[in-house]
Amino acid sequence: MPETLFQKVWNRHVVKATDEATLLYIDLHLIHEVTSPQAFDGLRLARRKVRRPDLTIATVDHNVPTENQLDIREPMSRRQVETLRDNCKEFGLTLFDVHGGRQGIVHVIGPELGLTLPGTTIVCGDSHTSTHGAFGALAFGIGTSEVEHVLATQTLWQGRRPTSFGIEVRGKLAPGLEPKDIILAIIRQIGTGGATGTVVEYYGPAIEALSMEGRLTICNMSIEAGARAGLIAPDDTTIQYIATGNRPFAPQGAALEMAIADWRTLKTDDPSAFDRHVVLEADKIAPQVTWGTNPAMTVDVTGRVPEPDKVPFASSEDARRALDYMGLTPGTPITEIPVDVVFIGSCTNGRIEDLRTAAKVLRGRKVAESVRALIVPGSEQVRHQAEAEGLDAVFREAGAEWRESGCSMCLAMNPDKLTPKQRSASTSNRNFEGRQGPGGRTHLVSPAMAAAAAVAGHFVDVRPMLAQGN
Amino acid sequence: MEPFKTHRGKVAVLDWTDVNTDLIIPARYLKRVERVGYGPLLFADKRYVPGGAPEADDPDKHGPEAPDFPLNRPAAKGATVLVVRKNFGCGSSREHAVWAVAQAGFRAVIAPVKGEGFADIFEGNAYGNGLLPLELPEGEWEAIAEAGRSEQGAEVTIDLEALKLTLHSSSGEKTFAIEVPEAQRHRLLNGLDAIAETLLDEPAISAHEAKAPAWITPQPA
Ligand code: SF4
Repeated sequence: MPETLFQKVWNRHVVKATDEATLLYIDLHLIHEVTSPQAFDGLRLARRKVRRPDLTIATVDHNVPTENQLDIREPMSRRQVETLRDNCKEFGLTLFDVHGGRQGIVHVIGPELGLTLPGTTIVCGDSHTSTHGAFGALAFGIGTSEVEHVLATQTLWQGRRPTSFGIEVRGKLAPGLEPKDIILAIIRQIGTGGATGTVVEYYGPAIEALSMEGRLTICNMSIEAGARAGLIAPDDTTIQYIATGNRPFAPQGAALEMAIADWRTLKTDDPSAFDRHVVLEADKIAPQVTWGTNPAMTVDVTGRVPEPDKVPFASSEDARRALDYMGLTPGTPITEIPVDVVFIGSCTNGRIEDLRTAAKVLRGRKVAESVRALIVPGSEQVRHQAEAEGLDAVFREAGAEWRESGCSMCLAMNPDKLTPKQRSASTSNRNFEGRQGPGGRTHLVSPAMAAAAAVAGHFVDVRPMLAQGN
Repeated sequence: MEPFKTHRGKVAVLDWTDVNTDLIIPARYLKRVERVGYGPLLFADKRYVPGGAPEADDPDKHGPEAPDFPLNRPAAKGATVLVVRKNFGCGSSREHAVWAVAQAGFRAVIAPVKGEGFADIFEGNAYGNGLLPLELPEGEWEAIAEAGRSEQGAEVTIDLEALKLTLHSSSGEKTFAIEVPEAQRHRLLNGLDAIAETLLDEPAISAHEAKAPAWITPQPA
């Protein structure tokens, strides 16, 4: 029987299986300040230890201010951060704290540090843990009581095994198009519930052609289609990424050789092993812009705001409510929608390649006067790399704000928030009501499209801008 | 979790129906980072004099107790068994509600009529936290409630091994049979929470770890 990559990774982590449930071993547990405090308290109450401190790595990201990371003014936020520091000290865990050089969004630092490895199981009290699947790891988000369970036992009970869903992306992305456009096009095609109960595997020539950064962007948003996790089989690109660069936790020497031999076996034997399968043609994808309040409410930049009765996966009532919240009139060309704020960052698009792309658009151009543009590196490492390449100067000269690393305006737990009715072009992953601040209106786009909107003051097709150069 | 074998304690009677989780613990307390310290927050907007509810960041700082709140009656002081009416714990799924009841010192909650005493989620959360939710027939519940409402109050002994409950009051002793699902009874008797149960599989977990390849453990360089 041919097996999928997902089945292979799942099978090698089964500690025990009963009729209804499976006990899975967890190879890596990532922690941040928001979803962990009660879990640590639970351990203390029961006088338990963390079973494997060496497999448990923490950072602070959600509450951290990006203007000056050290200055957390909101008392509740400060307390969450300080609580994590205390807990890491008490339980002997490694914490990548601010201004330590390796702090960042939990899903950005895992791969950077060489923690995220093919064939492993990775959990975190955070739904975008799916990001790490880009390495062929089985990675998913968990709740606070599960965080406690993993801390104490390094295992997790799972109900029935999810089904597998192959998403094949054929062809080649056109110039000016980005991985973000692929994943938005996928969600637009299958809907926000389209992958519920499944683990998705992305494959095909357009996926294989992507860098690790691009693959991380795609797997990151698996959760936005309802998937439990998203995976991409490891290949030379994956191995190259792990074996090079400054990755202090990655295996080295003989251990790395052994690992590589194993990783070469990690692939789906035959697409017939998938329980379900869809195909997308990359060549047909245009720059994507969300117009509504979930990531499936997406159109091409050349399109128009839809009529409420012509919205796939939404009742006309839901669509009308979304239009109303977003303050949009059906029939309006997307390129006529003005933006107030541009946010480039998050665990979806806050990596070095994303910043390089944004810089390519912004070099020698100016951010429109009506626009506030925030550029927030996903980690301190990304920030230093960008500065070494002189990207920060490009952003500053264009009139954009160059910030410190954190989740920032992705979810507005820190001071970076939209005000009511402000409209953003955002490279993050959720355009839910109020996600970027109460009453804020979010349009999800790629980094290139966000940078283009910053210059134009409204959405605009980035392709001619890139073609014409500066 | 502390095992629950037999427990004897005073009862406190709260004669209200459909007590929801917002009443048990108001939403503003959910921003806290702790899992302890919820005891003083139980019924925070009812049990203190007006304006006396605790601060979210300092639950121990609160005003004097409201004398007319049933749990504050002298006979109910130090009670460890809460007697409530139907559909206790309805509303949101917040586990904080169970934390508040348990951390205020209660080990069991007794409600009338099988299948109608508790909201589902509250009942599940209660078992998960070692708080025993008991449903008794109307007449037996009333006997306990009536004794508890009296001037001197009452005590009960809950024997989870023998599945019996004995009411001790000024008019003597009465014993009733109780029902508890077997799996939950097993957990409570042995003080097993989900983690403790998983740890029974310790040999299997260690065996898995022993055969894991060396490269899989992060190697800080
Ligand atoms: S960047 Fe956004 S989606 Fe990613 S971990 Fe932070 S808050 Fe969550």
